[in-house]
Amino acid sequence: MEHIPSFFHRRVTRRDFLRLLGALAVTLPAWSLAGRHAHAGQTNARRKKGIKGDHDLVVAEGADPYATTVRAVEALGGMGRFVRKGATVVVKPNIGWDRAPEQAGNTHPEVVAALVDLCRTAGAGRVNVFDVTCNDARRCYDTSGIREAAEAHGASVYLASDWDVVKARFAYESPMEGWPIVRDAVACDTFINVPVLKHHGLTRLTIAMKNLMGVCTGSRGTIHQGIGRKLVDLTDFISPELIVVDATRVLLRNGPQGGNLADVEHRDTVLASTDPVLAETFACSLVDVDPDELPNLVEAKARGLGRPDLAGADILRLKA
Amino acid sequence: MNRLVRLRRFSQILCLVLFVYILWSTTYPLSGLLPPETFFKINPLVMVMTALSGRVGLVGLSAALVLVFLTLVFGRFFCGWVCPLGTMLDVTARLVRRDRWRRSLRTGRMRFIKFGVLFFVFVAALAGIQAAWVLDPMVIMARFVSLNLIPAATRTLDGAFVFAMTTLGLREVLIDAYRWLRESFLGIQVPFFAHAVVILLFFALILSSVALAPRFWCRCVCPLGALYALAAKAAWMRRLVDICKHCTLCIPRCRMGAIREDMTYDKGECILCMDCVYDCPQHGTRFGIIARLPERRTESGPGISRRNFLFLLALPLATLGRRVFAGTPARAGVIRPPGALDEEVFLDRCVRCGNCMKVCITNGLQPLMFEEGLEGLWTPRLVPEIGYCEYQCTLCGQVCPTGAIPRLGVEEKKRTRLGLAVVDRSLCISWAHGQECLVCEEHCPVAEKAIKVTERRTPSGAVVGAPVVDPELCVGCGICQNKCPARPDRAIRVQPLSA
Repeated sequence: MEHIPSFFHRRVTRRDFLRLLGALAVTLPAWSLAGRHAHAGQTNARRKKGIKGDHDLVVAEGADPYATTVRAVEALGGMGRFVRKGATVVVKPNIGWDRAPEQAGNTHPEVVAALVDLCRTAGAGRVNVFDVTCNDARRCYDTSGIREAAEAHGASVYLASDWDVVKARFAYESPMEGWPIVRDAVACDTFINVPVLKHHGLTRLTIAMKNLMGVCTGSRGTIHQGIGRKLVDLTDFISPELIVVDATRVLLRNGPQGGNLADVEHRDTVLASTDPVLAETFACSLVDVDPDELPNLVEAKARGLGRPDLAGADILRLKA
Repeated sequence: MNRLVRLRRFSQILCLVLFVYILWSTTYPLSGLLPPETFFKINPLVMVMTALSGRVGLVGLSAALVLVFLTLVFGRFFCGWVCPLGTMLDVTARLVRRDRWRRSLRTGRMRFIKFGVLFFVFVAALAGIQAAWVLDPMVIMARFVSLNLIPAATRTLDGAFVFAMTTLGLREVLIDAYRWLRESFLGIQVPFFAHAVVILLFFALILSSVALAPRFWCRCVCPLGALYALAAKAAWMRRLVDICKHCTLCIPRCRMGAIREDMTYDKGECILCMDCVYDCPQHGTRFGIIARLPERRTESGPGISRRNFLFLLALPLATLGRRVFAGTPARAGVIRPPGALDEEVFLDRCVRCGNCMKVCITNGLQPLMFEEGLEGLWTPRLVPEIGYCEYQCTLCGQVCPTGAIPRLGVEEKKRTRLGLAVVDRSLCISWAHGQECLVCEEHCPVAEKAIKVTERRTPSGAVVGAPVVDPELCVGCGICQNKCPARPDRAIRVQPLSA
């Protein structure tokens, strides 16, 4: 039978092979240049949308973390205010430690589950849940119960990668300039910061601003030097649209990991706010800590990042 | 149709794939279908010699003895049909020695070397020294797969994905697949192992022996092969030649050199590869189970001569004095895995298979070279700057085939001491530079905190918290050293227990 020349049946001659190499030599560098450009390093801060809640702060009390969280967000104005249809949402809990929910080292999984549900009901296209952990990430995701809870409610839960970051670019001089930050934390429509209130050796308490260290990769230990300033710049860079503080149970001593249940007390409270300073100041009052003991809170007040006066603020208290 | 050869190849590839699969799944959360120590537990050399040298009963003994029993029936089927190192040698021989007719080194009496090795290992075990690990094929293969092959494969895959997503800009297309792969197949981190190239060279050296003869290793060196060869001498399954015109075709083609010029064969050397069944132009060769043959000659093969026997006996005796002459007791100048037996016992019990290093969740367990002397070669040590010991993790004890690292419960593990952290105040950011830090205290996993904070007034008048280790509480996990931001040297370091 006559030999039919075709792409698959032709013998590859030396010339063909060289042609192919030549084509690759031209296209690959061009492609990679385009790709590199798309993956460019420096990124500006997230745009501040200035969304306001119906109240400055909602304090919801209730024994059930899921229901309490739902009530708190609804009283603030509902998730629809923060999440538009098809949006990409980041729900950033504290998953830093290889600790079980009752040990209070991480955000309660039911608080995360409630927020994922609210986002999806509000029409979010995608809900990303991650943390750059301190212990091994797989163990943290599993032991904290957050992977299971968030995935069951339809979130994408994944491990952050060192290479998948952008470098922070500030409009002002900052010690955090150029710090690598997980790409998804910046490239999202809505960022919901979901810290757990607990004791911390260096910052006295860790609440919302300290929780944002979990979007940073790199050598994070050096953030601890001059931590107040760095956390405020970081909070200003990410500027989460919504802050939900888990104070259902609080680790009062030996934080931020804990491990001893005798150090944990129930507060059965969930806070929702758009103001990190107000949320942190109120959280301090839950555990009788002077807000001025938190270096980041002192710095944030001085910088006018939010309102520090509980007396003048519109605070709604409710029971779920 | 060479049905039996195909069946044998299928079995070899299946066992090799299984071997790699088991090691690949030797990682958190240990959800593999087979226990990570499977291939060691069925290994009579490792199990018997370790039990003998440590004077302990090991669970794996029973499984290993089943293999010996099967060998008493079928001969060295393990070498030809199961052993993953044997398969690698066959594959290498096929690649290097295209021509099966190519002349091999006539190994002849060199095959007795392996009995010498086995004898040496045996006498050493009687004397309480476990030397099986040095040349055990399963250990050599496992170390290669765990510390060379899998790291190289994951690095390549991960690198290809990251290249496509960053340089080629395909992140949006690939990121979800990548994330899924990373947590299922790729593994979370690309592992790094110190001196892995030495392990690779050792493995390559063994593979390169095919240049002398295919399966030169199995003919002449392998102590596990020697053990099976002794058992196989009594095997019921034997090679039967019904028609033979003395064409001698089969002799040079036998990969084990087991067929003699007079067309008899050495049952202890035959690995039942089944090649001779199909090489025979007369189709007169087969294998069958026959308890007794009408012997043509009363010849049980050239046994070990008295002179050789005495020589072999002298060999291990010469090294028995190792500990005596070396004088210094084992040093333990390194951090061993959690719960590791006393250094002397640990060195004898550890078979250097690399399972603990493969499974270590932080990649902190690394192979030693000669830091602990020759006898510490390839034993595991914790290098906190690479990875710390995860507080609630017990994986290394769960995958150790010989119990050199015991299986600890989580609560027991949390109380198990690996070393003691010591703050170097001349380097510490808080002590030496008066800056706030306390990263070590933050990460200390002990519920009551083994690192306490002491208030310290700096020359400028400010008060900073500085770390102090409570030696009663510190378990030496090394997370403080791992996370300490001081550079180039960490300001808090874990000292080994006896140092």
